[in-house]
Amino acid sequence: MIKVDDLTKVYKLSKKQMIEQRTKKNMKKAVKNLSLTAKPGEIYGLLGPNGAGKTTTLRCIATLLKPTDGNISVCGHDTVKDSEKVRECISFLTNEIKLDPQFSPKYLFNFFGRLHKQDEKTINDRREKLFNYFGIKDFEDKKYEELSTGMKQKASIAVSLVHDPQVVIFDEPTNGLDIITARNVTDYLKLMKEEGKTVIISTHIMSEAEKLCDRIGIIINGALVMEGTLKEILTSTNTSDLEDAFFELYQLHNKEEA
Amino acid sequence: MMNGTQNIIKKELTRVFTDKKMIFSLFILPAIMIIGMYSLMGMLVTNMMEDIETHIPRLYIQNAPADFEEVIKLTQFDAEITYIDAAEDTKDIKDRILDGTVDLLVVFDSSFLDAIHAYKSAGDPIPEVKTYYNPAEDYSEAARSNFVKNVLNVYQQSMLEERLGNIEQLQVFFIDKDPSTSIIIDEKKADGKILSMLLPFLINIMLFAGAMSLGVDAITGEKERGTLSSMLVAPIKRSEIVFGKLISLAILSGISAAVYAISIVVAMPLLIGGFAGEGMGDINLRFTPVEMIQLFIIMIIVVYLYVSLVALVAVMAKTSKEANTYVMPIYIVVMLGGIMTYMGSGQTKLEYFLIPIYNTAVSLQNLLMGELTLAQFGFTIGSTALVAAIVTGLITRAFNSEKIMFNA
Repeated sequence: MIKVDDLTKVYKLSKKQMIEQRTKKNMKKAVKNLSLTAKPGEIYGLLGPNGAGKTTTLRCIATLLKPTDGNISVCGHDTVKDSEKVRECISFLTNEIKLDPQFSPKYLFNFFGRLHKQDEKTINDRREKLFNYFGIKDFEDKKYEELSTGMKQKASIAVSLVHDPQVVIFDEPTNGLDIITARNVTDYLKLMKEEGKTVIISTHIMSEAEKLCDRIGIIINGALVMEGTLKEILTSTNTSDLEDAFFELYQLHNKEEA
Repeated sequence: MMNGTQNIIKKELTRVFTDKKMIFSLFILPAIMIIGMYSLMGMLVTNMMEDIETHIPRLYIQNAPADFEEVIKLTQFDAEITYIDAAEDTKDIKDRILDGTVDLLVVFDSSFLDAIHAYKSAGDPIPEVKTYYNPAEDYSEAARSNFVKNVLNVYQQSMLEERLGNIEQLQVFFIDKDPSTSIIIDEKKADGKILSMLLPFLINIMLFAGAMSLGVDAITGEKERGTLSSMLVAPIKRSEIVFGKLISLAILSGISAAVYAISIVVAMPLLIGGFAGEGMGDINLRFTPVEMIQLFIIMIIVVYLYVSLVALVAVMAKTSKEANTYVMPIYIVVMLGGIMTYMGSGQTKLEYFLIPIYNTAVSLQNLLMGELTLAQFGFTIGSTALVAAIVTGLITRAFNSEKIMFNA
């Protein structure tokens, strides 16, 4: 269970960033008063263009960033006050988080298992199960840097699940992956959902959101402008597919901003 | 709480020790380089000295006294000598001394022997022997000093004898007829003196260099590669990650420095072979148990300080290139700390032992000389530990900073 309550995140901009972003303000509101709830047994998708605040929101949920304002609770723990407890029950995956190139998937799995305070037997059992499921067995002793992109992705996912997390946070899960590897990832997300986990992902790919997500939150310029099932969104925007709905909302809210 | 730290240390050490390239570049290459370099230097110096000894100097002697050829024969001075008379121009010879083809020009005053024989009392003219040589040329320098010592001094001595009859009149008293029996020395301090000049400097630099190459990769490198974030989402405290990184880095730099130190001790005789006979004898270091413990504590705390300084820079930097640039000024300060031990003559004031980096260099120096007092030791350890603790705190803060870790 993830509860985001009135989240606001403000970044201070350096002089260089101010020039890059052509702004005179030294503050940038990345997320504005965002509230959402993701429940166990569902996949929640944050849909939005680049720079809308998706990654910031997910990083706040994963305790990597502290909210400027508002509260987030994950599995009943506050992300600021109880960040270690939160990290115990989540798995945070993004393409920016990578594993040590010099180690094998097996070593890394055991290493993160120990960081998650799992005992050796539990680690071995889970490794057996996950490596079999993802087909990692064949290359479990190869160095991570020697693996193909698909193998790497599988290994990262397996390692992130070492502690059987209740909440899975995945930033742009299929970004940069080929169609087969992407399928692997989405299959795994569905499996998590079936196991009753809370899954939250961010994406800018409409088809992915349509197929995968039980509920979608559309985020534009840091604000959640609409939330609901695909059907609810289509009904309220009076459109026939998500892309149209998204553009409708984008035009409406981006204009407001400007 | 230390579970994370332990695991990270284990992983960092595994990373290095399972990588053949790393083992080679960190531990084996430096040893080979130092031993190779020192023995090469020793060999070159030996060769150079032998070369100078076997070289037959080329001399020009202008206006030599009648009996001088006899003197040369008597002193067995081996040289290729050309005698020229007073009228000849020496400009060409001087030019050749400058370009190194001639080693020495000796010019006697025109009425050299007459003046000597005419000498009666104080105020009478004293003739001169003038030498021209080029100190930038090893052959010329050696030819001049050998000529003065072995020919002119002997010549002068014989003339004195001729003039005075009894030369002992001049020798009012002897100083150290047997110089080797006059030396009373604490051998440890003497040996320590050579090493104490060199080792604090080398140890400081080696420790820092080790920390520098390892630290930047282990922290900035991981940040760049995105592998550090994988640890930030694990349920451990940031301080556990910091300690894990720092301690493993300290262990590795320590081993690397030990390899350097052992190589130097092994290689020293090879180098010194070249300077044999210049007063550098065998080097043997003996420590009392207390000194051994002190050395150990100093080394540990120095390694930790250097590692934490490098780590602080490494965590702040966005790229390894940036980190390497920022770490250079600290490296220079560390080198200065080592160099300053050369300058410090006599006793260093106790307050100076509160200055980090400098104090460890001076303490090491005093320790090698067997002169480190407990107060100096305490001041050094205390102030270094304090700085190390502050730096560690800053690193932990940096690890907690969103701006630094995620550029957010």
